[in-house]
Amino acid sequence: MDYSMLLEPGILAQVLSQGLVRGSMYALMASGLSLIFGIMGVKNFAHGELFMLGTYVMFFALAVLGLPFPLGILLAAVVLFFVGMGIERTLIETLRKRAGRDWLLDAFVLTIGMMVVLQNLAQIVFGSDRRGVTGLIEGTFVSGSIVISYERIMIVCVAALVGVLLWAFLAFTNFGKAIRATSQDPDAAQTLGIDIARIYTLTFGIGAALAGLAGALLISIYPAYPTVGFQPVIKSIACVILGGLGYVPGAIVAALLLGVIEAYSVFFMASGWQNVLTAGLVVLILIFRPAGLFNSAKVERA
Amino acid sequence: MPLEVRNIVAGYTKEVPILRDVDLTAQDGLVTVILGPNGAGKSTLLKTIYGYIRPQEGEVRHDGTSLAGYKPKDMLREGIAYLIQGHSIFPRMTVSENLELGAWIMRDDRQRMAEAFEEVYERFPRLKEKRTEPAGVLSGGERRMLEIARLTMTRPKTLLLDEPSVGLMPRLVDSIYEEIEKLKAARYTILMVDQNVKKSIEIADYVYSLQLGQNAHEGEKHAFEQRLNEIVKEWI
Amino acid sequence: MTATTASSVPASQQSRVTPMRVAKVVVLLALLIGIPPLVDSPFITRVFISALMLGTIAAIYDLMIGYAGLINFGYAGFLAVGAYGSALASFHYGISPWAGLLIGGVLTGAVGFVAGIITLRLKGLYVALMTFFTGEAIRYTISNTPDFTRGMQGLSTAPFTDILGLDFARENLLNYYFLLLVLAGIIMGLLAWLVNSRIGLAFKALREDQLATQSLGLNTTKYKLYNFTIASFLAGIMGAYYAHYIGILSPTRHEFGVPRTVEILTITYVGGRGSLWGALFAGFLLIGFQEYFRGLGPWRLVLFGSLLIFVMLFARRGLAGLKKYVW
Repeated sequence: MDYSMLLEPGILAQVLSQGLVRGSMYALMASGLSLIFGIMGVKNFAHGELFMLGTYVMFFALAVLGLPFPLGILLAAVVLFFVGMGIERTLIETLRKRAGRDWLLDAFVLTIGMMVVLQNLAQIVFGSDRRGVTGLIEGTFVSGSIVISYERIMIVCVAALVGVLLWAFLAFTNFGKAIRATSQDPDAAQTLGIDIARIYTLTFGIGAALAGLAGALLISIYPAYPTVGFQPVIKSIACVILGGLGYVPGAIVAALLLGVIEAYSVFFMASGWQNVLTAGLVVLILIFRPAGLFNSAKVERA
Repeated sequence: MPLEVRNIVAGYTKEVPILRDVDLTAQDGLVTVILGPNGAGKSTLLKTIYGYIRPQEGEVRHDGTSLAGYKPKDMLREGIAYLIQGHSIFPRMTVSENLELGAWIMRDDRQRMAEAFEEVYERFPRLKEKRTEPAGVLSGGERRMLEIARLTMTRPKTLLLDEPSVGLMPRLVDSIYEEIEKLKAARYTILMVDQNVKKSIEIADYVYSLQLGQNAHEGEKHAFEQRLNEIVKEWI
Repeated sequence: MTATTASSVPASQQSRVTPMRVAKVVVLLALLIGIPPLVDSPFITRVFISALMLGTIAAIYDLMIGYAGLINFGYAGFLAVGAYGSALASFHYGISPWAGLLIGGVLTGAVGFVAGIITLRLKGLYVALMTFFTGEAIRYTISNTPDFTRGMQGLSTAPFTDILGLDFARENLLNYYFLLLVLAGIIMGLLAWLVNSRIGLAFKALREDQLATQSLGLNTTKYKLYNFTIASFLAGIMGAYYAHYIGILSPTRHEFGVPRTVEILTITYVGGRGSLWGALFAGFLLIGFQEYFRGLGPWRLVLFGSLLIFVMLFARRGLAGLKKYVW
């Protein structure tokens, strides 16, 4: 095939924009996952289901309540924030109290259980039909041979905005600092009067909100159905690992890269193999650089 | 009113209590030192006072208030600060952020925070210099300074110091003890555990020694200094 | 990881052979062997087959997770190797399903070996993620090579060929059940022997603390590989059996993907980590229970997931925790 085609501006724009859209989704999911892992040490396998719930909230907001889409996105984020906090308060905290030293290993399995329950409850309550919307914004941006839909531009911008807000929250607000402190030294944080349990609940809520937001934002690409979260979560986990466990910026960069790589890979292989590609990449990198691509200061916390 | 520890029985597991009926009082404004061989339970005692371990029997009172059921996060509000053994700075946050977190419980009071910062920067000009640097790049001695500075941001009444000089070079040990002297002069109530027997007795007003989780000896500094050789022999 | 059930009872009392215990074992065996032929209902026999099969698969899984602390989250993919390995051998090369059992075992054992190598230096959760990717990669590969594997269209498998005068046509469920009993008996026996041997001791050390274990001079690498390879080999045999029993294979998620792994994981956990027999009991309990409420569809998995959560939070020793009351 003609590889020079790839560099043509029209095609480039398409592929890049698509890649960034995907990358944005992965980034939102991965940053939530990375945050939860970095602060609490929990690998949340149910993150995909939080994404899934986000899509349903969005669908409900748009199709049933007829809200304008920005409100839908906001609603999804808020609802999932509370759902996340609820899950942390009831399930994860209970496990932490009862399981003692090795609770993290068990937490992982706990989230697996949560994933299964949520997925199948969704199946029962909503049925397996795909509920989607055709598009959040009409119209495309055209300049010469470059054609990009406004929707894609919007998605990337919103994701970027959320990213900036998250960074600002962590860097400048009191709770953001408390969260960072807890991730760096929970014992010391406690001696300063920081309520670790509350921090964990808050962190999980934020992670869930990010996932819900991702689901809402990408509703026109990923409609609402019970197992919609499966793919995104696997890829996001890959991004978290590639970026270095617990290192949020790394996860975001890895996510954007992965999105673009995947967009390009469409030219070389059937979409079914994309996942094998991702898996292969992760395996390779884990073998040679277990700490991730960007050597974060954090040592692996298995 | 002093920090009182009465008849404490505590440990990490119920079957094996490390502290078996420990009793002590840390008088206001004085430096009380706990000595003892390794495994005697010194650190465990501090952890129990601070709520990391719930005692099976006995109680701890601070300034008249019983600390029963208090968790570590409640202690600073009660006026007790804890210097953790080993490193406890937040390496990826700046010096000033570390200090800011030291004042976490008074974060809403802008005025007090500003005052606390001013005071701390006056006492520790080095920290002021490096206030925008990530704490992780500080040297060992500087880190310990930061920890001590952070400790006192909220001007707690009582300080529990768990091995403040461990892991430091002799020269730095001296400067740490200078700091502790200053804290003593500022009338903090200090309860301290440290490996450095000589220096800790020097700075102490009152000394307790623990052996196998129980009170062994106690006394004013002078009395202790004289019997020091005997006591250390006992440990060996 | 929680300790095994042996913690609260002195070892001597544990393995004592008392008349009561012998009687209990005999009764259980009698039930196991006797019920299907006596009841003579295809439905019941199928339930027993499913229960025993999954219980054994879960016991093998326990070797990895309960004894050595290695979470294999791609386990269903491993089973797929055994199943497809044997099925394809007979489909494309006309190899007898009996030999297929061995082929399935060997192939899966090889996969386990490779997985062991990949996860060599990794700890707990990394192992889970790596094995997850391995399992999914296996499933996707099977899915995406339809020319060879028939992919999603489904690969029909041959029933076991007649042997010793026994007819293994699909209707003769009882024969399949007895074959399974034999297989399961051998495998369980092997597992029990392994677990109580020095190798088993090494496995338990792996679970506790890899660093401390290494400092005792134990070659953790070697034992990790042993564990993965042996468990995979046995799983492969069960996978092969499954293929020829079930009649048709397709690489869907429910068959060989995450839901299946979760199912097995749940059985293992409910039975109690570190208890082989617990896994068997749990298999019967869960599968029997589920079959009773057939046609549940997604409720089945909700049940499994909830049970897993419940066990993790409130019944951490699983059924094995009840052992001291009935044994």
